[in-house]
Amino acid sequence: METGLLRGLAAFRWAAWLWIAAVTFINRDHLRRPVLAVILIGAALAITAWLTALVRRGPAAMLRRVPVAVELACGVGLTLCDGWAYGGGHAFATSQSLGVGWPVAGVLTAGITWGPAAGGLVGVAMGLARFGATLANGVALSSLSGPRVTSLVSTAVLYASAGAVAGYVATLLRRAERQISAARAREEMARTLHDGVLQTLAVVERRADDPALARLAREQERDLREYLFGATGAPIGAGGDLGSALRATAGRFEDNFGGRAQVLVADDVPSLRPDAVDALAGAIGEALTNAGKHGGADRVTVYVEPHGRGVFCSVKDNGSGFDVAATPEGVGLTQSIRGRLTEAGGHVEVRSHPGDGAEVCLWLS
Amino acid sequence: MAVVTVVLADDHPIWRSGVARDLGDGFRVVGEAADADEAIAQIRAHHPDLVVCDLHMPGGGGIKVARACGEETRIVILTVSEQERDLLDAVAAGAAGYLVKSIPADELRRNLVRAARGEPVFSPALAALVLGEFRRMAKQSSGAQPLSEREREVLQLVARGHTYKQIGAELFIAEKTVENHVRNILSKLRLSRKQELIRYALEHGIE
Repeated sequence: METGLLRGLAAFRWAAWLWIAAVTFINRDHLRRPVLAVILIGAALAITAWLTALVRRGPAAMLRRVPVAVELACGVGLTLCDGWAYGGGHAFATSQSLGVGWPVAGVLTAGITWGPAAGGLVGVAMGLARFGATLANGVALSSLSGPRVTSLVSTAVLYASAGAVAGYVATLLRRAERQISAARAREEMARTLHDGVLQTLAVVERRADDPALARLAREQERDLREYLFGATGAPIGAGGDLGSALRATAGRFEDNFGGRAQVLVADDVPSLRPDAVDALAGAIGEALTNAGKHGGADRVTVYVEPHGRGVFCSVKDNGSGFDVAATPEGVGLTQSIRGRLTEAGGHVEVRSHPGDGAEVCLWLS
Repeated sequence: MAVVTVVLADDHPIWRSGVARDLGDGFRVVGEAADADEAIAQIRAHHPDLVVCDLHMPGGGGIKVARACGEETRIVILTVSEQERDLLDAVAAGAAGYLVKSIPADELRRNLVRAARGEPVFSPALAALVLGEFRRMAKQSSGAQPLSEREREVLQLVARGHTYKQIGAELFIAEKTVENHVRNILSKLRLSRKQELIRYALEHGIE
């Protein structure tokens, strides 16, 4: 992208050089110092050719202090010497000056190389060179009228904005390029890990006779999966923060009770306020603890889907279950689950039969 | 039920030997394959009751195998990640269901026996994916046949982790009826996927 930008600029430089060469040739009879004009235009030609060669070698060769400074110096020279090269009063004549167009390339290059602030400053400096040209032209600054000052200032402002915008665009391009290459690297790595390491961990997990080793493989697989698909939004398992929070909660259940907790979050679950995510994750964590501690469950499914403008969640276990009507609600259910959800504006329902597991359903709008 | 004949397809040999070991006495591995074409050839040669096939393999993977042989035999897709949209394509292509590779051996055997009997092996994760797919199609008003309220209920209960038996008890219907609902849901998914492909082709001028 940067190369494209610099190639465009190189083309602009050639066009601008042809323009000043043509303009100077047409106005050759008005030149007071033709040799100076030829030397300056020749220098601009040499620099244009040199910079084009540098761009061909790559952005790194071009965007260095020396080439940029040389181009700027030549630009300032062209602008400044306009008055000497032509006769008196040329600075405000209707004919084109020596410094038309070509010096802008230097301002743009400076912006691209050193960023928007430097680009703006260089633009201002290039604009001030026009004041210098006026002086060189034998016009006293004190004699400048309002419109002429406005004309000079507006040139400076234009140069400054050109430099700043070029710097800004280049900064954005570079950032985008970095992000794209980072995303590509991550995608590439995800594919490699997915096909290799995740498969291996699955094999280890299933074939290990040592439960501790199987659990270690399981934990590693979970972490890796979270890294690869979690934060950046897997197809399912998105749901933003809620998905991550629930997977972390499920991980704690697996660590504490040794079972499996599967988290399924639909990819069209609306994003929730942070306090709603906290309430749900807290309540679901408590439901998982109940499933492990009281139900002795080793398989739990946590499911989340959109419900109106809010969400529906369920925590279903394969534990011993209980008679909902005959069992007094413990502190865990009353406070940690029902309390959290009611406070966040939701409600809870518990379904269970002895011997058939339990399910906690939560609605939050 | 007699011994279930199986073709195993996975590009990791260590994985195939692991699964073969886990299957135990109730199954007989009649063929192994490391890519989609080999798997199709093995299936055509041995006519197994069941194919256990990796989702991602060289040369097309489980989707290609399901497309080619989904009518001839029951194909169960094994995958490491349960949350890929590819799974929907595999199921729409004719797979009987899919299982996650980290599934414990006893559960693997139980599910494969059910699959060999012709029951749809529908995990909660797949049910969640399918539910999301139908919500997406409803929003786009794609003209696809929507799920009936009862089918949606059944599918949601599968996603929540209920067994067919529990769903039957919950909805006061027979377990067989639950299975039929699941089969209907699958054929609706297949149909809508096909329609989507056709529409896509028409819109993009592919003939």
